[in-house]
Amino acid sequence: MSLSSLLRQSNAEALSLSQQTAQYLRKHASTGISTIHIPFLSYPESTDVWLMYEKLLLSCLRTGDDKAAFNCLEKLIDRFGATNERVMGLRGLYQEAVAKDDAALERVLQEYDEVLAEDTVNTPVAKRRIALLRSLSRTTEAIDALTELLESSPTDIEAWTELSDLYLSQNLFPQAVFCLEEVLLVAPNAWNIHAQLGEVLYISAMNGNESSEGRSLAEAARRFCRSVELCDDYLRGYYGLKLTSDRMLSTNPNDTRSTGQVATVDNGELPVLPTAVVRRLNEQATFKLAEITRTSNSSCNVADINAAKDLLNRSTQRKQR
Amino acid sequence: MASSSSKALIALGTILLAHACYSAYEHSALHLAAGLPLDISIETVLSVVFICVGLVLGAEELKPISWRVWAGRAERESGGGGPFQGLEDRLGFVDIRVKRKDFADWVRDQGSDNKG
Repeated sequence: MSLSSLLRQSNAEALSLSQQTAQYLRKHASTGISTIHIPFLSYPESTDVWLMYEKLLLSCLRTGDDKAAFNCLEKLIDRFGATNERVMGLRGLYQEAVAKDDAALERVLQEYDEVLAEDTVNTPVAKRRIALLRSLSRTTEAIDALTELLESSPTDIEAWTELSDLYLSQNLFPQAVFCLEEVLLVAPNAWNIHAQLGEVLYISAMNGNESSEGRSLAEAARRFCRSVELCDDYLRGYYGLKLTSDRMLSTNPNDTRSTGQVATVDNGELPVLPTAVVRRLNEQATFKLAEITRTSNSSCNVADINAAKDLLNRSTQRKQR
Repeated sequence: MASSSSKALIALGTILLAHACYSAYEHSALHLAAGLPLDISIETVLSVVFICVGLVLGAEELKPISWRVWAGRAERESGGGGPFQGLEDRLGFVDIRVKRKDFADWVRDQGSDNKG
């Protein structure tokens, strides 16, 4: 299990992991910098041990087992020192979690500010500060801080995605789209980011004005197409493609332009998709969604499958009417 | 994981190869000037072919070469999501207080379910 999958695990899994903490701490009680390494007799120190401590720390914080979390944190501080950037970030996470009220959170925030005043490029702490600002619903400040962070590290795609999410929460769609495009510059094969970009474009088309709706929808459809091109049977991509093409067909059903007459646009933008193409995309997406929902096994996300079934039912009802 | 047939082929090939080597050694000790007899050459070649076929048959299942097949598999694996899932989880920006609250709510729900 990788570190990032930790956040997606269910509550039950988090509980079982945090219950292993005491046992793990006992088993690895001797591991630390003080241990003298004897060849062939003692195990070499591996990064897995410390990743496990980090994992346990997060699970314990999530399940509210603060004492065990503190033990894990102490282990990490003993090994890497209190001035290690990553450890500082984790320590801040612990303090945020155990903070009783807003005043305590403000103190944590102040501490972050002090750390950053000394060392402006301490990325883990800077990220914690932004997360805390967001958590305190000071979104504008969070956006400012994040853009500043991105000035100094423009290839940090995790930060770009977070910024896109922040902009999206403020309904600033063009900015959110731009951030996701930055992510795609660094990770052009990230199929889930392509799908997410499609989703943002779709939402912006739904909320935008009439004139730009067609172009946003066409762009969204292209992004969804790319995501299913990069990943076989990608439910999220086909779902988005179906939704987008449905919308395009319903807003523009009697477009008489045929495939041959694609309007060329001078300013480098891609033209709006012809209706025949959209119809074929729609058929393909419907077919694929039906196939995926039929052949899905228990390992798939049940909620996703149900949402896809719902969408299919709705569109067939609309056709019958 | 090697199947039993591939293991058997490799074993047979190894025995034949050892036998051929030993035969060649004995032959050279007895007839210094004469060339290697045909049956020993054939045995050597056959044994090597057996070993090769056995190794190929026993090889692990091949990993997908094309990106989309690999990505589709990564997406479907339990708890998967592939290497780019971290971009959506964003561990560095996690809001731990919300996570704690979610968990507390979940525990309360479980408790009330058990009672009811």
